[in-house]
Amino acid sequence: MVKAVRGTLVKCDASIKAMLVDIDSKNNNDFIIEELDEEHMLVKETKVNALKNRLQQMMKDRLKDPTIDEDSGKE
Amino acid sequence: MPPKRKAQAAAEGEDMDWDDNESLSEYEDLKDAFTMHTTSKKVHKTDAASFIFRHDNLDQPLKPDAATRPLWVNNDGRIIMESFSPLFDEAQDFLINIAEPVSRVSRMHEYALTAHSLFAAVSVGHSTKEIVDRLERYSKASLSPDVVGFIRKSTGSFGKAKIVLKKTLSYIESDDPEILQRLLRDPVIASCRADNTQGLIQEAAPKIGVMAIPGTKMAAGATQVAAQAEPQAPVDMITALREEDDDDDVAQIHSFQIRSETREEVIKQCQKLGLPLTEEYDFNNDEVNANLDIDLKPHAQIRYYQEKALSKMFSNSRARSGIIVLPCGAGKTLVGITAACGVKKSVLVLCTSAMSVVQWRSEFIKWSNINPDDIACFTAENKAVFHGNAGILITTYAMITQARARSYDSQKAMDFIQGREWGLLIADEVHVVPAKMFKRVTYAVASHSKLGLTATLLREDDKIGDLNFLVGPKLYEANWQELSEQGHIAKVQCAEVWCQMTPEFYTEWLKSSGQVNKKIVLTSLNPRKFQACQYLIEYHEKRGDKIIIFSDNVFALQKYALTLGKAYIYGGTPQNERMRILENFQHNPEVNTIFLSKIGDTSLDLPEATCLIQISSHFGSRRQEAQRLGRILRAKRRNDEGFNAFFYTLVSKDTDEIYYASKRQAFLVDQGYAFKVITRLEGLDQRKDLAFFSPQERRELLMEICLAKDADMETERIDGDAFGMMKAGTKMKNKGARRTAGTLSELSGGQDMAYVEYGRNRNKEIKGKVIKNNFLRKLNSSATNAKKKAAGGG
Repeated sequence: MVKAVRGTLVKCDASIKAMLVDIDSKNNNDFIIEELDEEHMLVKETKVNALKNRLQQMMKDRLKDPTIDEDSGKE
Repeated sequence: MPPKRKAQAAAEGEDMDWDDNESLSEYEDLKDAFTMHTTSKKVHKTDAASFIFRHDNLDQPLKPDAATRPLWVNNDGRIIMESFSPLFDEAQDFLINIAEPVSRVSRMHEYALTAHSLFAAVSVGHSTKEIVDRLERYSKASLSPDVVGFIRKSTGSFGKAKIVLKKTLSYIESDDPEILQRLLRDPVIASCRADNTQGLIQEAAPKIGVMAIPGTKMAAGATQVAAQAEPQAPVDMITALREEDDDDDVAQIHSFQIRSETREEVIKQCQKLGLPLTEEYDFNNDEVNANLDIDLKPHAQIRYYQEKALSKMFSNSRARSGIIVLPCGAGKTLVGITAACGVKKSVLVLCTSAMSVVQWRSEFIKWSNINPDDIACFTAENKAVFHGNAGILITTYAMITQARARSYDSQKAMDFIQGREWGLLIADEVHVVPAKMFKRVTYAVASHSKLGLTATLLREDDKIGDLNFLVGPKLYEANWQELSEQGHIAKVQCAEVWCQMTPEFYTEWLKSSGQVNKKIVLTSLNPRKFQACQYLIEYHEKRGDKIIIFSDNVFALQKYALTLGKAYIYGGTPQNERMRILENFQHNPEVNTIFLSKIGDTSLDLPEATCLIQISSHFGSRRQEAQRLGRILRAKRRNDEGFNAFFYTLVSKDTDEIYYASKRQAFLVDQGYAFKVITRLEGLDQRKDLAFFSPQERRELLMEICLAKDADMETERIDGDAFGMMKAGTKMKNKGARRTAGTLSELSGGQDMAYVEYGRNRNKEIKGKVIKNNFLRKLNSSATNAKKKAAGGG
């Protein structure tokens, strides 16, 4: 039987994508439905906010200066 | 819409009066503070951006003609000046005398009034009244009473007591016995006293003369303008706050002796008491030490900024100890030599390496008429001393502070150094010297005056303040932008190139938190960065530039150099190979690019280089950035029409490098350099011939990095490089025996992919053009001999 999942297209920098994939793999692949290419991927719609929060947290931890924010356009 | 603008102005006016009353009470306590920097950091919450500027003076009403006046004086002693004002040149000349430059960007300059700078101002001949009056004249708002009070206090209390050296013993001297008694009442100073007598030693005061700096017009006898000498008069501390200096001369000076090893402690303690000691050397009247026959050669013309720097050192015909800051390539050595020619006593020069010992010696011979026999070098190879009564001795910091047992020869030389008085001690690259080491130098050597020379008075630890006590205050700091406009140093375009990390590399980078070395290798070997580097090399080689590429990380350095087929030098490169590569870089049009590790930061002098690319660097070290920039400042072609040198920093996006890069640039930005950020290089994406183009190659590179042992990726350590030992934020792993799990085949090399040499080492290829074959060589030499004979005969 075909199962449909509602998804949101996320467009971001390659490096931000790497972070998102990292988050995803640490959480039992709970977020990402499909990686499309270097800058696009499909994320479960219900998890978008949770993913945003985790990404924010990760950037805070990993990158030294939070004032230099990269243009991580999310839609 | 003029009416609207007016309304705005009125609103701003209101803002300015905002908390006028508050400020007065808040600044009361600062009057006791010795330096102005300890004052409160008051923030006016008037607009969204105010908090960025820790100090503002919004509460001061502007003078009616504020627009024509160039500067503000803040309550904390900061002076902000508009460099586009018509009065700028005049005001700058004045400010450089009384304040220390903090930041000089194109439109706004920032200076700081400090106790040291004000003291220097007094000795150059500015009176308290003059300083206050002129500041008032230039200031947009009237000076606050705190600033005036600070200037009065600082200028009034200085020069009361001084520390002098007589027959290798230290004395505290003053013309007012009251002041000495006051100092002696302090327990710390009393304990440092060497003689046990209660009384003070009395002597007649020496006269103050006028001194001409050699190499200037004044020395040539063209104009004998008498510099104003401010007599240091005994004024009571309390009256000094209110009154100007009196002009009565005192014939008597009083002194007591202190133990030499407590010298620094005494100087510090006196600063605390608000009675800083002056260190001046009246070399003209020093008849105990033999004169040295040294003068600048007639062709040696010192530049105007060197003259300015020296005039600050030799004001009122005495040598004052201190530090002179000039950019790399602006002639620091000549300043040192001129100073030596001014003092005309025995001189001890300390440098960082044996290489620069040799350089100093040849510079001395080049610029001055000194007898070469009077210059001795004291290094590991050469332990000579001079034989006359006076001379110049050049040595390294390491030699003189060596704690281990010495050989007979070096012990003899050391005894020689310690056993005599030196007129002047020149400390080259003074910023690298750890305070502890320098302390040992000052104990070991009895010198009347000390001159520190440096390009970057910076350290990432806050030990730079210690130099104030160990050497002296900053006497002069040149304006980099001004010098480059006048062609004394090269004009440089600075750029920061942002390179995306490839997804694979970034994933790996994210995973390897904690592995500092691996992270550094990953960011510096980022394929996109590699391509950007290759692109820039090609672009600049086509333009005819000579390129130096810096990488702190040797692993990355070798990878880059081997892949791109360029020569490289790092700590492990043998000396003769180094020389050969450098010679080829200078003269061979085939070799336009070299890769250098940290060792290239300071010691190499390559005037051919016109382009610099940085691929990895030492964390947030501002000094390294400035020193590296210094490699291209002395570019030979700098006076060509429209010539620009280029300085690129390649930064991997979204990594720590961005953060460090912005930190590193702070110093150069203060010197007026602007960094352009380049987010993409034109046409880089379309290029298919660059390295690591295919994902396959990139994965292989990543694999190689992951397989490399941590030890291979460690940052290079260089002996005798004090700077490498410092860490900025992260701890290096200590080397030592390590136990790792592995297979036996790994040890035999069986794990490696293949035995083929992938990247051929360019170093090996550019071995000089020596003809190897015996027969051919003979043939060649006989041919040249024949030619010589023919030439000689004709």
